[in-house]
Amino acid sequence: MDALLANFLNVAIYKEVAPYLLQGLWTTIWLSLLVIPLGAGLGLVLAILATKVNNRGIRWLVALYVDFFRAFPPLVLLIFIYFGAPFLGWELPKLGSIALGFMLNNSSYFAEVFRAGLGSVPRGQEEAARSTGLSAWKTLVYVTLPQATRNVLPDLLGNVIEVIKMTSLASVVALPELLKAARDAQSMFYNPSPVILAALLYLALLWPLVRLLSHLENRRFSNR
Amino acid sequence: MNTAAYPILELVGLRKHYGDQEVLKGIDLRVRPGELVCVIGPSGSGKSSMLRCCNRLEECSGGQIVVDGTDLAAPGVNLNQVRQKIGMVFQQFNLYPHLNVLGNVTLALRKVQGYSRAKAQEKALAALARVGLADKADAWPAALSGGQQQRVGIARAIALEPRIVLFDEPTSALDPELVGSVLQVMQELRESGMTMLVVTHEMAFARAVADRVVFMDGGVIVEQGPPDAIFGAPRELRTQAFLQRVCS
Repeated sequence: MDALLANFLNVAIYKEVAPYLLQGLWTTIWLSLLVIPLGAGLGLVLAILATKVNNRGIRWLVALYVDFFRAFPPLVLLIFIYFGAPFLGWELPKLGSIALGFMLNNSSYFAEVFRAGLGSVPRGQEEAARSTGLSAWKTLVYVTLPQATRNVLPDLLGNVIEVIKMTSLASVVALPELLKAARDAQSMFYNPSPVILAALLYLALLWPLVRLLSHLENRRFSNR
Repeated sequence: MNTAAYPILELVGLRKHYGDQEVLKGIDLRVRPGELVCVIGPSGSGKSSMLRCCNRLEECSGGQIVVDGTDLAAPGVNLNQVRQKIGMVFQQFNLYPHLNVLGNVTLALRKVQGYSRAKAQEKALAALARVGLADKADAWPAALSGGQQQRVGIARAIALEPRIVLFDEPTSALDPELVGSVLQVMQELRESGMTMLVVTHEMAFARAVADRVVFMDGGVIVEQGPPDAIFGAPRELRTQAFLQRVCS
């Protein structure tokens, strides 16, 4: 029991590594704040292209993109872009390649969620809006999209949570986010306690979001 | 120009087909200012398709749709501009569920016609007063009865001060006891001089309020005339058969 405490719940080590891990947590947060809007934004554009543009070729390309990046392992994608880009002659800054990798991956998931959302809005909504003279674009912005987003809010939040957890993959390309910080501290102290502390920090960050998600899901369930 | 004789809506040889099936086989129809025209006929007769072609929610395959002097079927027409002159009321109301009543009525006033929030609200409240719902401005659509929702739908259409309002079976989705309130609002609208083209199954309303009744069947206008003539002494066999079915 003492060995367990010393190895996993070592308070002395917690105290020592806390500032370092908090810095890692901060990196996780801002990395999430960077890649989630990028992925959600691109995903939304893809969903609009797939549902509102009457062009078979575009729809086919979007479907191909979404299929490919949902099937391609994000860790491999990240390594591929990070280590492969220089060979292709692209001088991407570290953060740029990480952001690109996450964006390519999570935009494919966001695209599917938004597509479902746009599909859930009855056709009559668009007809009513267009009949009053609203352009296709304004109809999308003021009528279709707000309803679509609201209809898939739990799924969007679920995606956000997945992406936050996925940012730990950036540790393989040496970005000192929370997991990387914890692993560094672990090897410094020859003790896995910092990883447990990192898990606690992840929980503290994600628990409120998961609670909110349950709340939204219950509300959606009771509304139907 | 003699405005009294100048039709607000004129359909000339309107045709529409889905694949091989022709649903409108050359419709000619004129609606004059201040006129209330009811379109009746069996389901599948093409009356809703015709109505939805009038503001090009559905594309026609041929013919002309002239609204207030503009041919909607002509290439390069500014559809969003012409549609402001053509209000539309839907069978399923189609209110925006994410906006309250005032938001439903002010949306196009603000985003299409460019009124300020205050001015749009003023115009919206006036429109809501005309349908007897000024006190529901802050309510959400889901909290209203079907009849109230449809009256908001009418307010949304008339707030833009259209030249004509199209009604697509406005009472068909309502519980019987709520139909009367909507028909009453439509009658008041007619008395205020609004031009209206109404596709309906409400024969009593058509007979009592319409200036003219159009009977459609099989994608053509079979017969039209004053309500007393159509309901009292229909000339065509198809009209007689239809009226016998629905009025017995």
